Amino acid sequence: MIAATFALLLSLPLLVWVAAMFDRIGAGRGRVVMAPLQNGAALLLRPNTETEAPDQLNRLLAPGWYLALALVGLSVVPFAPGVVASDIATGLVLWGACEALTVVVVFLHGWSPNSPLPLIGAYRYVAIGLPAMLLSMFVLIGAALPAQSLSVAEVVEAQRDLWNVVRQPLGLPLFMALGLAITLRGPFDFAEGAELAGGASAEESGPALAAWRFARAAMLVAFSAMAATAFLGGYLGPVLPGPAWLLLKTLAVMAAAVAAGRFFARMPPARMLTFLWVVLLPLSFANLALVGVEALP
Amino acid sequence: MSWLSTLAHDAEIAVFAAVGQHGLGLTETLGRQRGVRLVSSPRHARVLLVAGEVESAQARALERLHAQIPPPRGTVWWQAPRLFERGETVIGDDPGEAIRRAAGADDPEQRPDVPPHPWRGMGPHGQGGHGMMGGNPYGRPMAMTADDIRDGLTLDAYSARFGPFLPALPPGLVLDLTMQGDVIVSAAAASPPYPQGPEGDAPTLCAARMLRLMGIGPRAAHARGALMALPKGSGMRRRLAAWLRGETVTESPAPPPNALPGREWAEAVLWLASFPPSRLRAVCPEEAA
Repeated sequence: MIAATFALLLSLPLLVWVAAMFDRIGAGRGRVVMAPLQNGAALLLRPNTETEAPDQLNRLLAPGWYLALALVGLSVVPFAPGVVASDIATGLVLWGACEALTVVVVFLHGWSPNSPLPLIGAYRYVAIGLPAMLLSMFVLIGAALPAQSLSVAEVVEAQRDLWNVVRQPLGLPLFMALGLAITLRGPFDFAEGAELAGGASAEESGPALAAWRFARAAMLVAFSAMAATAFLGGYLGPVLPGPAWLLLKTLAVMAAAVAAGRFFARMPPARMLTFLWVVLLPLSFANLALVGVEALP
Repeated sequence: MSWLSTLAHDAEIAVFAAVGQHGLGLTETLGRQRGVRLVSSPRHARVLLVAGEVESAQARALERLHAQIPPPRGTVWWQAPRLFERGETVIGDDPGEAIRRAAGADDPEQRPDVPPHPWRGMGPHGQGGHGMMGGNPYGRPMAMTADDIRDGLTLDAYSARFGPFLPALPPGLVLDLTMQGDVIVSAAAASPPYPQGPEGDAPTLCAARMLRLMGIGPRAAHARGALMALPKGSGMRRRLAAWLRGETVTESPAPPPNALPGREWAEAVLWLASFPPSRLRAVCPEEAA
């Protein structure tokens, strides 16, 4: 457990770097390898900004909470049979809590500078966040049903014969929608979209902005690892050792999330809200019903 | 800290572009500049690039923008007369060298670090009127509950001025908005968009601006999926489709004060971006403020 925690803490910065590289490839910009580090260093050397009458404490803490949620979420992902940082029987519930609290943290991030554009971003994100979280709950219950357990390790073991992505084909695409929402990306980036000039982060600069962006990339890593575990069999695979399989699958999901974020256009929030409640949520019910029928003895 | 500085030495320069008259086409060419990255908030920038002439009536707005860039900051005036004594002027088509020099500059403060308006509140925390609500501290009305225009629920309404350099709005357009959440309750155009000439109405440019607001690049639009993301019935789909086909749009919008109330922020900025800048300029009154 301690070894797994160390492995997680050591690999996270590297995976965040890889996520930033994927983002540069997605944006069609050059200098893929070094530019994320150089831009990050330049950002760290800039000053933080002050705003008028901010909620100073929450402004300071929001990036830290976001990173903490990513780390806690990542901690339930097993690297190999029996190797997991948080070895609890209700791992999926802990992950679900991290998803839900992300909405709170993003709201605090937009609320705390006391400025119109970040506040609009914060409100919009909460409106979209709720149905997106509901979606994920149904999809994850679907992933837990074949294992008849809320333990993430059990969910992986239940995929020895057949991965969940084949058994419940709707699950992974629907879970990807949640991933885009909790990592503030593309079609689900209602907190920091271009139409809000940076939105929830519009007033941040310097180390505070760097920390927020690091945490956002860390959440992408956590989400990708969770998606790879719940739907792509996690550490299961031939020849290569378990952690290598998990890494490869995580990178694949990460690349897919970055690509989806660049490919799909963002709808105005009212339209997205209708789409979520009328199309995606019923799809997630259908997914759950199918999985339930299949799981009947 | 020296290794951090060494690493940061080759970083991209974050540039905030304040677009002036005939500056839209200029700014689009910046994407091809190596080592320069356009950012959407002045807080994220190192260099203020004024692209195209800004009228002296908006010098104060530009000075405030300058003050919002965290120090040290630099300024470049690109095909624009200087409105204050900071930075250097570029006459030609390539501001690259000037931007690199500005990235090493440290402009002194242009505005004194004091509130823009006198204090007109009564309480110690900005509350001005009755109890904790209302009033007009520092020239800005506090949020006050009012009936929601859609369902009549009572929600906080707040008023603020947006523009003239907000990248999501057409350059030069200044809107005084009252909003409840992200819904616009009332709107007034304090200043019309800047003239951008024929190149501002070019279909590829207009389409790219709209797609950027939707978070995608122009290449992805070939899938036409972007049209599905737009709300039906407001003509936005029709105009974007025409631009994507390479056709010029000649529709004129209703004046923004009539058309914006009831729309939410994202829809409103997309609606504004779905008209050619020249047409939008024609329906906004000249210097109402």
